[in-house]
Amino acid sequence: MNSSRTFLHGDETGNGSLDGDSIILSTRVGLARNIANHKFPSSNTLDERNQIIKIVRDCIGSTGGLPELHFHRLSRLTRIQRQMILDDYQIDDDFVSKLPGRAILLAPRLSLKDDAVSILLCWDDHIRIQVSSPGSGIKKAYIMVGKIEKLLESKLSFSFDREWGYLTSNPADLGTALEVSIMTHLPALAISPEIAGFIKNLSKVGCSISGFSGINSEVTGNLFSISSSKTLGKSEEEIVEEMQAICLNIVEEEENSRKKLVEKDLLGAKDNIYRSFGLIKYAKILSFEEALELLSILRLGLDLGIIEKTRDFDLFELINIISDSHIISNFEIEGPVSDDDIDLKRADLIRERVLEE
Amino acid sequence: MICDFCKKNEAAIHLIRVQNDNVEKVNICAECAGDFSFFSEDDFYKDLTKILYKIFRADEGQLNSRRELKILNNLEIRKNRSCSFCGTDLKNIKKLGKMGCPNCYIEFKNILLPIIKAIHKNIEHRGKIPENTSRQIKLEKSIRDLRNRLKREIFVENFEEAARIRDEIRQLEKNIYE
Repeated sequence: MNSSRTFLHGDETGNGSLDGDSIILSTRVGLARNIANHKFPSSNTLDERNQIIKIVRDCIGSTGGLPELHFHRLSRLTRIQRQMILDDYQIDDDFVSKLPGRAILLAPRLSLKDDAVSILLCWDDHIRIQVSSPGSGIKKAYIMVGKIEKLLESKLSFSFDREWGYLTSNPADLGTALEVSIMTHLPALAISPEIAGFIKNLSKVGCSISGFSGINSEVTGNLFSISSSKTLGKSEEEIVEEMQAICLNIVEEEENSRKKLVEKDLLGAKDNIYRSFGLIKYAKILSFEEALELLSILRLGLDLGIIEKTRDFDLFELINIISDSHIISNFEIEGPVSDDDIDLKRADLIRERVLEE
Repeated sequence: MICDFCKKNEAAIHLIRVQNDNVEKVNICAECAGDFSFFSEDDFYKDLTKILYKIFRADEGQLNSRRELKILNNLEIRKNRSCSFCGTDLKNIKKLGKMGCPNCYIEFKNILLPIIKAIHKNIEHRGKIPENTSRQIKLEKSIRDLRNRLKREIFVENFEEAARIRDEIRQLEKNIYE
């Protein structure tokens, strides 16, 4: 199990604290491309997918200027290793729903503060370049994605239509094939009556909204993933600028809701925050979902200056560290692991990171 | 009011949703509400916002992840055909929600057009184009970009810049036909 930790990040223990926003937790920029004159992964054979993987791998091996990238075939990774990759590089679970003929290139990270650069091969499209980073650095992540794409393009010919832009297996991605997502933490807005209007407005401006971990995920810990969803008829720069504007808007909405919360129901808020504090302090086992809910409220308490005896913590970093895969590999739990084992370690870890001694 | 699901009991919960100016009402009795697999009884009485998320999520276009956008479900197939390059037929495209290859876009263009228009509200790519495309396509794209900029400059009454852009467009148009 030890190796699953070191294979991604060396011996990093993740103790450094991130200085991030507690509203926009992270940003993810993904760009899809398909190699011209080849079938999309949904309709080709295993051999054809392996051929695509080889083409891209050879191209990356012979192209200068790219970040250091480590190649992994999904079928050769253990379940825990795959889960760690999904958690650390913010990749949708669906990527590992099928293993044969899928691969990933990962840029190693020294700490959770660093950008997570990955290139996913033969998922819905031949290539998906993805960069995720803490905070709201959309532009920076986009520039990195664009740079990688440009380098690949110098060697590969991508399927392109002058009217419909870059062709993708799902017509929803046609055009720029660019997706910008932000992970937001909206504890005050989520319990306010404005939430319904907020969601409606985001849909109106062409955003899709989901829970914490992509597909089929429910809203847990007041974490909302908000993604750009129009790819045709807008330039890449417009998509990036729009999402930046949406970020500002979201921060403003959440801050307003926090103000209102304090004005209208300070006692209720305090009660809720201290209840979460109590559970974190005394609970022996905590599931991931429950931990998210509690940490969300505690983070709100810190932001509002309501709670004491709590250390400042970075919510995004902590969410990463308390995921099942991290717990299993960090604590080197051997043999068959029960949920209780993980939940016990999780509760310990959270106490250690969050409560003052 | 009677429950919309069993059409028998008196409804205990009334949900009203406003979406794109459409108002929808759902009336549910306590018994039917308990039957919904998407929320547990505990959730139901404890936390109304949670239920709302779940109901919204069950609806396309509200709370859903981008990857759940299966726009090809709306494909209308009068006569099933297969793509001559990859062999994927329309029925399969609809079922998978994915196209088989780049050539599918060419062969099924007419059927796809309304769906693409509906989802993107636009059918013209305005983003970057590959470095290795022909000079003609690049010029066309530059002109399109400049026209959009021209519109913006005129809108903010920056006529000096607008005139400059207009001249630039003329120059490029000349280049295309040379």
